[in-house]
Amino acid sequence: MIRLEDVTKVYEGGTVAVRDVSLDIPKGEFVFLVGPSGSGKSTLIRLMLREEAVTRGTIYVAGKDITSLPAWKVPFLRRSIGTVFQDFKLLPNKTVFENVAFALEVLGRPRSVIGPQVEQVLDLVGLADKAERYPRQLSGGEQQRVSIARAFVNRPPIMLCDEPTGNLDPATSVGIMKLLDRINRTGTTVVMATHDHAIVDAMQRRVVQLSNGVVIRDEMAGRYETVGEQ
Amino acid sequence: MSRVAFMLREALVNLRRNILVVTGAVLAVFISLGLAFSALAVNELVRINTIAWQQGVHLIVWLNDAGRDGVPADAHQNLLNEVMQWEEVANAYYVDKTAAYEEYLDLFGNNPEMIEALQNPSALPTSIRIELADIELYEQVEFRLQQYPQLINRISSAAQEIEQISAVSRVLNLLGIGLSIVLGVSAMILIANTIRLAIYARRDEVSIMKLVGASNWFIRVPFLLEGLIEGLVGAALAVFAVWVAGRNLAGAAEGIQLVNLQIPNAFFLRWGVVFLLFGAAAGVLGSLLGLSRYLREADGGRPAGVRRALEPV
Repeated sequence: MIRLEDVTKVYEGGTVAVRDVSLDIPKGEFVFLVGPSGSGKSTLIRLMLREEAVTRGTIYVAGKDITSLPAWKVPFLRRSIGTVFQDFKLLPNKTVFENVAFALEVLGRPRSVIGPQVEQVLDLVGLADKAERYPRQLSGGEQQRVSIARAFVNRPPIMLCDEPTGNLDPATSVGIMKLLDRINRTGTTVVMATHDHAIVDAMQRRVVQLSNGVVIRDEMAGRYETVGEQ
Repeated sequence: MSRVAFMLREALVNLRRNILVVTGAVLAVFISLGLAFSALAVNELVRINTIAWQQGVHLIVWLNDAGRDGVPADAHQNLLNEVMQWEEVANAYYVDKTAAYEEYLDLFGNNPEMIEALQNPSALPTSIRIELADIELYEQVEFRLQQYPQLINRISSAAQEIEQISAVSRVLNLLGIGLSIVLGVSAMILIANTIRLAIYARRDEVSIMKLVGASNWFIRVPFLLEGLIEGLVGAALAVFAVWVAGRNLAGAAEGIQLVNLQIPNAFFLRWGVVFLLFGAAAGVLGSLLGLSRYLREADGGRPAGVRRALEPV
């Protein structure tokens, strides 16, 4: 589903964020990207989303080379990827319903389709009764659930999550992880950057560990740290 | 169709939800275009009045009585016929003694002493009144008239004064047009900048839209519609305000005969449309300029020079 071949990213000023990273993520997999701050987790997410361009290497998403994608085609790529961020990235002037509906509006879906689909996904994330609230009227956990609802509403094959529990307390984080796990079980590939030990250890999924922009561990059913490190 | 309806709805909802910023942008358009339109209206007043001053009799040729002092009986008519042939002359007519007396009564009808003083109405001189084709030609016409010293007693001319007024009004005209252009350009920059600032305040919104997969035009169109509406409303207010001010000015100055402060509605109609289009264009341009940067930033553009920085890696 996602393949990275010798991907390197150098920011302006010469900072090397990611160096020669190669990864193969099959369809339906749940992958944790772990590592300390500045290890390159978020950069990898941004590269897969074409928010940043690679400096060298190639990234394939659903078989297509996205590194050579012309700018006008980037929106089409993003419509096949659901994104969840630590800071929720909700539109403050839109209600919960409108925020989620926006992802379908950009696809040009008719209102008759949008309404039921949004209601269904809000039901899934447990916010059906708060559809008319604005983001500022919700708790952090609720805002993140809106963000997940928006990411999942058009049933994308891939979900990219950058520290989705970073701003949440442990109990709320568990709820968010249950939701992502449920989405993953529908066949959606989930890639999640995190440094939340407890979550990674509890989920027992594939763990890709980064350090200074380099992959130092890629382990199936792994923990946050290797046994030796603990 | 649903996308068009969505984008239109988005624009209207955003206008309502960002009412403070929108009001600021509309005010910027209103004030700047109002100033530019006022300058143009003043310029129009100067033009109207200059034309009014330039029209009418420019030269009065006072004649010696015919049949006396060697002036032949048909000399007045012959001179009038000749003057009318001159290309510098637009129109000329003869004022005989009866007409001169009527004119005298018109002028001094309210003054019995003046009426009494004129014991013999036939003492009033006859004259030829000349309207020039071009006010600047008055010296040439005067020169040609001076060829008839026996027939002509005196030449009165307001042409010099009119020419001076024309020169002043030409300068005022140029100033008015220049001021309108400068204010128009300032308006464009101010409007574009205000809308850019409004978009800057919503740059996060733009980046979120991009993340969800909205195309550039999908993001752009509601912003353009907002800019268009802001520009149109501001311009319409400016045109309306100057029209109302013009009406009031004309009403207040009704008693003043020297100057005409009545601006024709055709002027407001013609230039009103131009200003509405200008306001709309400024709004759209401001939105386009304001958005372009944030749209580019969200596209993952590859900064130049990074490849070079990579070489040693």
